[in-house]
Amino acid sequence: MANEQKTGSETIGAAGAKGKMTLFKDDRAEDIGAIILTVIIVAVVVIMGMK
Amino acid sequence: MSSDSPGFFRQLPSALPGLALIIITMVVIRNWIEPWMGATVILGTKGWLIKVTHLNYILLGIICGLLYRNVIFGGSMPEVFMNGFKMSRLMIKTGIIMLGSLYTFAAIVQLGAMAIFLIGGFVILTIVMVLWLGKVFGLDRSMTGVLANALSICGVSAAVATSPAVEAKGSHVAYAIATILGFGILTMFISPFIGHALNLTDLQYGAWIGTGILNSGQVLASALAFNPNVAPGTAVSVAEIWNIMRVISIPFAVFAVTVWYWAGKEESDSTGHKKSLGTLLVEKFPMFVVGFMVMVFLTSMGAFGDVGIKGGPPASDTIKTLRLVMTWVFGFGLVGLGGFIDFKELRQAGGAPLKLGLIVGTTKYVLALIVVFLIKDYLVAI
Repeated sequence: MANEQKTGSETIGAAGAKGKMTLFKDDRAEDIGAIILTVIIVAVVVIMGMK
Repeated sequence: MSSDSPGFFRQLPSALPGLALIIITMVVIRNWIEPWMGATVILGTKGWLIKVTHLNYILLGIICGLLYRNVIFGGSMPEVFMNGFKMSRLMIKTGIIMLGSLYTFAAIVQLGAMAIFLIGGFVILTIVMVLWLGKVFGLDRSMTGVLANALSICGVSAAVATSPAVEAKGSHVAYAIATILGFGILTMFISPFIGHALNLTDLQYGAWIGTGILNSGQVLASALAFNPNVAPGTAVSVAEIWNIMRVISIPFAVFAVTVWYWAGKEESDSTGHKKSLGTLLVEKFPMFVVGFMVMVFLTSMGAFGDVGIKGGPPASDTIKTLRLVMTWVFGFGLVGLGGFIDFKELRQAGGAPLKLGLIVGTTKYVLALIVVFLIKDYLVAI
């Protein structure tokens, strides 16, 4: 059976957590993190623009 | 899949030193190095460094990240900075979602139709070419399967997504990633020069690199290196639509290659498991694309004011601020990306997989440029 690769890995030998190029557990979690971060940034920009 | 790493929020404090290094690097580049390059007179030309070398904050950021890892820190990122650099992809994805504020749905439909045609054609062509060359070079089926998606879609993500489905070993993924990153880094640095030398417009350049460059981060870097402006119609706005279309095709390409892999294996081995297209769509669909589309929807609804499309009213202050923030978010992300370019790892590439990767990568890169030239009158500006 294959060595299952962690998604979210970008470097060689990325089978373990150490080789991952993300602090998230996988790509999906990182995508959701990016959406949340965008919401925060946009909210700050919009609110600051109102003042 | 195992989940042996601690959660994101538990690791966040340990990311602060690396994040600080990334932020300080970009602040120094944008506030001091770039202005200095613009004002310096070399060979009698003011701003020679920018005009001739086309260096800007994006390329400088990647070069700094690359130097940190490979020169200053002697080949590996120190533990204290590692977690901060692991935030780079989060920033790149955040920036891409924010890029949704450059488009309206009307623009997406205009540009997207051409992108679907080009990207779809190139994805299919590349997969077929890799599968054929894999047979010619006598490569292992798993290796061929991983390379097919790595070279046809968006590099690393596609290689990793495909690997469990085609029973790939760690070494297969390692070879594929080393090959595509090596090729991608080369194209990332030479494409802006080629684009300027051929006098490509932002539209032509964006379409070319969005089709011809393998990795999402490298497409972004290459587009911003050509034109660092973030606005409708700039190279990055065109290239990213192409890139989004390609990223969306990951589950479909993983499915196609999985079907090919198991079709050839059925006679000798049936112990493995295939996944349906529906399962793959649920598992592999890149969710940040949904965020991007929501951003396009909000922009189309006028939530942030006028977008600033050519011929229309100027962009609102909110949109202008969002675009300024985007350039910083991309800058931070691409310093981090540079920090993940490891010369030692690239040297692992070799043999038949490297040969195959170079043949297919170069063919795709050159062919994409030729096709963009041929259809330049049909490319729709936004």
